[in-house]
Amino acid sequence: MNNLPVLSYLDEFRASGPAGRLLDRLHRRPERPVRIMEVCGTHTMAISRHGIRQASPAWLRLISGPGCPVCVTSNYDIDSFIEMSLLPGVIAASFGDMLKVPGTRMGLGGARARGARVEIVYSTLDALRLARENPDCKVIFFGVGFETTAPTVAAAIAAARQSGASNFFVYSAHKLVPPALSALCRMPGLAVDAFLCPGHVSAIIGADPYRPLAERGIPCVISGFETVDILQSLNMILDQLDSGDCRVEVEYARGVRPGGNPAALEMMNSVFAPCDAGWRGLGTIPASGLTIREEFAAHDAARVFAVDASYSREPAGCICGAILTGQKIPPDCRRFARTCTPDHPVGPCMVSSEGTCAAYYQYEFQD
Amino acid sequence: MCLAVPAKIIETDGQQAIVEIGGLRKQASIVLLPEAVTGDYVLLHAGFAISMIDKKEALETLLLFEELAPPGGRPGLSGPGPEDGDLGLKETPAADDE
Ligand code: SF4
Repeated sequence: MNNLPVLSYLDEFRASGPAGRLLDRLHRRPERPVRIMEVCGTHTMAISRHGIRQASPAWLRLISGPGCPVCVTSNYDIDSFIEMSLLPGVIAASFGDMLKVPGTRMGLGGARARGARVEIVYSTLDALRLARENPDCKVIFFGVGFETTAPTVAAAIAAARQSGASNFFVYSAHKLVPPALSALCRMPGLAVDAFLCPGHVSAIIGADPYRPLAERGIPCVISGFETVDILQSLNMILDQLDSGDCRVEVEYARGVRPGGNPAALEMMNSVFAPCDAGWRGLGTIPASGLTIREEFAAHDAARVFAVDASYSREPAGCICGAILTGQKIPPDCRRFARTCTPDHPVGPCMVSSEGTCAAYYQYEFQD
Repeated sequence: MCLAVPAKIIETDGQQAIVEIGGLRKQASIVLLPEAVTGDYVLLHAGFAISMIDKKEALETLLLFEELAPPGGRPGLSGPGPEDGDLGLKETPAADDE
């Protein structure tokens, strides 16, 4: 056997020793305004929870981008899925994060109160199992998530076709991260100097898709999720800005290969094709979503179930859109902590456990 | 939502595997990571192994953090290790780790 230490890949990276030094390095850097955007809900939570924003130098602004899949899902998609859940003989299956998100007329919880059968699943394979166990019902899974999740949904669709589970359907509202970052960079008035890139999205897509951003002079560092990972990534970004040599770097090298995960990409691309998609806050972005390919049309809820969600609109007074694009922060919202709290959320950014409003409310807000 | 946790592959059976996370065993799919074999550490997301965890890279990152830790203070590793505070991270990765 080897003489390497046994690792759990969790506790070791949570040791606090190096964090102070990494923070020192940040504080010793030359002062100048820098705006770094994180685009992963798990980073958003970690930055709030561990006080990284407060501990960072004042000239360094850490802003949240469209990193929470629940938050960027448009009300049109939420309302469409809710309408489907109310159809007779349907079991609506979803990850737990979506349950409390308010739609225009009601949320999934409200649909449940009206008699819809809504099942929370941990994995797409659980949803597929529901379909097998309930052959008389139609199971519709709400496909929400980025490149991390889309291959797992694709795997379930492929397995459904292979096993003849003709009562399994997916409503695909998946989103792709790199097109959204490019769209963000084109938004007038938006000043982002660098991206802290998502670790687990990148475990699938690798480093290459961020290259066009780096070529435009925007450093991209793919970061792990522990405090030390994030602090190290911030230093790597600032090193790049100092040297003027903008690249895609991988801090989270233990989990991310430069080429991503080819088998997962192949699964995703065999079932889904890119399509234009509507993002909350960003509007419609070309080729930023995933639609189910023709070969799997029999499992595509959008093709099979006709529903009308033309009444959809965004919640009044909610500035989630501006928050998701880093133009505003939660305390800028008049409803924040007044008429919008985690117990009575108005917008998805307060509902989702990874939403920016929820993160601020929980960790960075004092009465 | 893109949460993934380290898990150890205990056994595989086709596209299925038993994995261990924090002492608990559960079923997982390795259809997205067909190269995974018993003993590998993987990142598990929503019941699927989505990426291999690279031990050498993990150690290099820890080593970097260890160098940044306060002198004489607790280096980047928690858990059992040699008394002198050097937790053996500087040993060269053994060949059979590949
Ligand atoms: S505080 Fe509530 S209403 Fe305001 S932006 Fe956030 S979620 Fe929307």
